[in-house]
Amino acid sequence: MAYQLSFSGFVWRNLWRRRLRTLLTLCGIGVAIGAFVGLVGFSSAFEQAWLRIYTSSGTDIAVIQRTFLNTSVDESVGAKLRALPVVAQATPMIYNVMDLTPDVNALAYGWKADSYEFESLHILSGRRFSDGKPEVMLGDLLAEDLKKKPGDTLEIQDSPFKVVGVYHGGSALEADAVIMPLDQLQQLSSLQGKVSTFHVRLRPTPPGESPEQYLKYAQAQIEASLPTLRAVPAAERASNNEFVRLAHASAWGTSSIALLIGILGIANTMAMSVFERTRELGILRALGWKRWQVLMLIQMEAAVLGLGGGLLGIALGWCALHVLAALPQTASIVSAHVALPLLAETLGIALLAGLIAGAVPAWRGAQLSPVEALRCD
Amino acid sequence: MTSPLLEVRSACKSYDEGRIEALRGVDLSIAAGEYMAISGASGSGKSTLLHLLGGLDRPTSGEVLFRNSGLGSAMDLDTYRSSYVGFIFQAFHLMPTLRAIENVQLPMLSLSRSRFDRAARARELLSELGLEHRMEQYPNQLSAGERQRVAIARALANDPQILLADEPTGNLDSVTSARIMEILTGIHMRRGMTLVVVTHDNAIADSAARQIRIRDGKVEA
Repeated sequence: MAYQLSFSGFVWRNLWRRRLRTLLTLCGIGVAIGAFVGLVGFSSAFEQAWLRIYTSSGTDIAVIQRTFLNTSVDESVGAKLRALPVVAQATPMIYNVMDLTPDVNALAYGWKADSYEFESLHILSGRRFSDGKPEVMLGDLLAEDLKKKPGDTLEIQDSPFKVVGVYHGGSALEADAVIMPLDQLQQLSSLQGKVSTFHVRLRPTPPGESPEQYLKYAQAQIEASLPTLRAVPAAERASNNEFVRLAHASAWGTSSIALLIGILGIANTMAMSVFERTRELGILRALGWKRWQVLMLIQMEAAVLGLGGGLLGIALGWCALHVLAALPQTASIVSAHVALPLLAETLGIALLAGLIAGAVPAWRGAQLSPVEALRCD
Repeated sequence: MTSPLLEVRSACKSYDEGRIEALRGVDLSIAAGEYMAISGASGSGKSTLLHLLGGLDRPTSGEVLFRNSGLGSAMDLDTYRSSYVGFIFQAFHLMPTLRAIENVQLPMLSLSRSRFDRAARARELLSELGLEHRMEQYPNQLSAGERQRVAIARALANDPQILLADEPTGNLDSVTSARIMEILTGIHMRRGMTLVVVTHDNAIADSAARQIRIRDGKVEA
């Protein structure tokens, strides 16, 4: 039968009644959620790129300093690591961000020429560098950006380096990077005898033991042998290394501010709505609506604004990620794909934002005395 | 003697920290099925008394009983309003965003009735009040008399035992007023409902089986 009034239908009518305000509120929360999707999506893609570095090279564990800021590890630790029965291979590395030209900065990796990390690279032209020589290999995206090929010279911090190879990496963070001999990067970074981390490949998991158990056992063995260092599983290291942590922190920090502004927008809309509808709320109470039903009505309106803004924000964030994925500066890192858990998380946050914003106006609306509300003009 | 449906005992109501005394010791009994008019000058306290009878407000002192249960103590005011009372206001107070048929369904949202039942009940009531062709109109598309008939249908939605009308003809011309009162008294007689009307209009007050007059917050003898 037509014109069956439902609670949700009444909610919708109330929002539709003040369409411009509803639309502006949706835009406010939508921009906030869009920023969240874009920034968190970007930082997640960044984390995935780091993870691919580990997975493509087969690294099981990264050995790092226990402290966050002092990230250098003594290079001599390598011998102790390799002597452990659980360790198959341990390779030192340094990573840093370097200005290659006034316009281009890139991740720089320092590897040993015999590092197993090379197994994850596909050399497109040229050859692998040699230890002790001022030689570099460029990722294909970086080589294109710098317009360099094997045989060319690249000035890094006023020192000439010969480009000896161009490779394609398993991760976007390698494709847009420069790799040079460890000793050369140690010299450029004033880190002689120090490395950022050791990447470790473990021996095969013994029969009858689960990979997870074995990984924990290996971690314990390494940390017992080298008490000043931490042995971090590769997946964990990918998500909590300094770069990823900073990316996540700035993504969450920026989107939290945007979200707070969005919440204030909804709260303002709902507070105005309750103020303007004081008499109507009194009528509902006179008609037998209970306090909790008035509270639910206002909370549902706020929740709809939150969810609507969430959907709009997802669309905006998705567009932003597509734009970033198409830009040459960010294409190698950003993926236009938005993961389902992020979408669910976003909608959850949007709904929560609506409920938080609606809580005080809803409570005030529910507390109105019917007689006082009916007297209101 | 049967016990009254509604009883007001020594009810006082004051506002502004006691500076304004709207009711000053009102005692009143209303029997089930009674038609009573409350008249009095503006500011005499008649609407305040109606609000107490309808559970919209509590007395500052004294008590209001429904079937011997104290309102606001033994019986929850929300439950009382949703299940036993229907209100009709002078200014109709229809929701502008809802069609006539949807306005009538509004009180039913407070009770657990199915959507289908709610819409069927609203249709039935509007038809009973001669609005079968106006159900889909919004309030601003209806005449004042039609709006008040929608408001009456809304008051009847939850099948209350008591109908409380606060100046129900105050915004209507004389012909429409007579029609509305005819509808209200007809409902009172057909359904055996208790009808309490607050009015300035002596003709309406005289039409009631019982009439009380409020003056300075007290029931005149």
